[in-house]
Amino acid sequence: MGAASAKTMPYWARGLAPLLGALAVLAMLQWIFGPMHFFVYLSSLVGVNVILAVSLNVVNGMTGQFSIGHAGFMAVGAYLSGLFSLAVKELNIRGLPATLSDQLLLLAAIGVGGVAAAACGFLVGLPSLRLKGDYLAIVTLGFGEIIRVVVQNTETLGGALGLSGIPQRSSFYMVWLWVFVTVLVARRIAGSSHGRSLWAIREDEVAAEAMGVDTTGYKVRSFVVSSFFAGVAGALFAHFVPIINPGSFTFVKSMEVVVMVVAGGLGSTTGAIVAAVCLTLLPEGMRSLFLRLGGEDASLAQKVDQIRMPIYGLLLVLLMLVRPQGLFGTREAWDVLPKWLSRRGPALKGPVA
Amino acid sequence: MTPATVNPPLLEVRAASIQFGGLKALTGFNLEIRQGDLKGLIGPNGAGKTTAFNVLTGVYRPTSGDVFVAGQRVNGKLPHQINRLGLARTFQNIRLFKQLSAVDNVKVACLADSRPLVSAERVAALRRRGSALARLGQMLDATNNYYDWWRALLLTPGFLREEEAVTRRADELLEVMGLAHRRDEEAASLPYGEQRRLEIARALGTRPRVLLLDEPAAGMNTREKSDLMVLIRKLRDQFSLGLLVIEHDMKLVMGICEQITVLDHGETIAYGTPEAVRADPKVVEAYLGEAQPAAAAGASR
Repeated sequence: MGAASAKTMPYWARGLAPLLGALAVLAMLQWIFGPMHFFVYLSSLVGVNVILAVSLNVVNGMTGQFSIGHAGFMAVGAYLSGLFSLAVKELNIRGLPATLSDQLLLLAAIGVGGVAAAACGFLVGLPSLRLKGDYLAIVTLGFGEIIRVVVQNTETLGGALGLSGIPQRSSFYMVWLWVFVTVLVARRIAGSSHGRSLWAIREDEVAAEAMGVDTTGYKVRSFVVSSFFAGVAGALFAHFVPIINPGSFTFVKSMEVVVMVVAGGLGSTTGAIVAAVCLTLLPEGMRSLFLRLGGEDASLAQKVDQIRMPIYGLLLVLLMLVRPQGLFGTREAWDVLPKWLSRRGPALKGPVA
Repeated sequence: MTPATVNPPLLEVRAASIQFGGLKALTGFNLEIRQGDLKGLIGPNGAGKTTAFNVLTGVYRPTSGDVFVAGQRVNGKLPHQINRLGLARTFQNIRLFKQLSAVDNVKVACLADSRPLVSAERVAALRRRGSALARLGQMLDATNNYYDWWRALLLTPGFLREEEAVTRRADELLEVMGLAHRRDEEAASLPYGEQRRLEIARALGTRPRVLLLDEPAAGMNTREKSDLMVLIRKLRDQFSLGLLVIEHDMKLVMGICEQITVLDHGETIAYGTPEAVRADPKVVEAYLGEAQPAAAAGASR
């Protein structure tokens, strides 16, 4: 299809064209990577973290509010979609092949998780986003902890032992489709007038309000979008790990996502993606490295999980010293990389000439 | 028809007072701005000029008295709601969106006039009738904001048309303020005088009927100040505005304002034409201290 036919396309097709393209590419990738189980597991972990980081960036980066309870919304999505899937475990949509029926039910479960998390985001955001400053941080921190404690003490959710037996319906395809949707949504928001209003709130709330921007409304909406995708991430997570327990959704997990967003640059979607990929693969890389160092002794490799947070902390301190604005600052990779390349290029050629 | 109905007051303040603890920051402040008015608000440092602006624009809620914008009482309304009734302002200490480009600064303001599914007037009318539909109307209005986001996500033709219109209008405003050549530069990187002009362009983006300028000439040199005087008059005529200017520079205020209100310690000590205000002994006293020592100092020189 040429550029001429793109203009004659109905608008909904134009708006959804990237999504249709992604569907096709993902179908191919699924065919290639589908059978590689460890790769699928690892890439799903990466994908979930990318969704979390990109969605948190909408609130912490673009809008300039500080939320540190993302794991709480993820937990809401994970548990509610898990319960939904457990309830429809034996169900098979009539007239459809088993795989397709499973994937549709998974999609429904993800919808349940996302909407539930978004509703929580609305309830938490509405009162706290009216206030200025650090209230949101405190409220979201409290929300995350409340969710964790409630789950820990609820029998139907498996208590501290966790919820097991959720059908493992997640696939490479589904995870990366949602990664794509999250990034597309984040970019479309950032590129629209709404995104500009969010930036304005981050830059100067008083001035934004004086210029007719409904600051509370915008903050709540960005928070709802962000929590929705946190719920989606949780729902996906629940469908590829063998068991979900409250330990997966602690404050540490929230901080992990915050570190990703800060490391990538507050406000930069590509930065959040790069940071999420690197910081998810880092412990895995260390694990295999330690496994090699330790030889047969596997205890060294097991320690990776324990020292992960100190390493994150060190990384963050280093980053703040060297590059306080994060990897890409508030810009995107395509704004920054050409400049970096052109700056390095002549400098290297200089002495030769 | 009487003149009053032909040109009704767009901004009306009746005996507005505000008190912070024991401090009376503003007492019995009265003001009326109609289309075409160019009024000044002056007074020594700490007289309550900016406080008055903050009361008008909804940053502070007056302790007593009323503020009407376009005939609606706005006490307790939020600044963005008041802005949408047609009142815009600039800030004394420039408050641009620093990391945004010049054109984006204006675009933020241009977006403010969005059309809700159910208009605020309709909701208010329903509520007056005590109708349960008012609640539904409000909810629809709230969901409309989300609907707007959906349009942005799906890139609907209506959305793209609006984005284009917003960009065109922002460019026009930059042109009017002589900032077209700075279009894509970061707001923080502009020279001081241009930042002040960009603030005015941004305020105009919200389609105001009354514009409040808080020390627009602060930090400008003589040349820039005289340019600004011409510009302010031009804006009033081109955009059919009513203007209220806070300014320290007497030459500028006396030069362009038709009516001047003088504040001291939150109280209005004089009101009238520039000549009348300049001759008022209370004004001289407020600015120069007591008349006698001032005269004595003049004599000893």
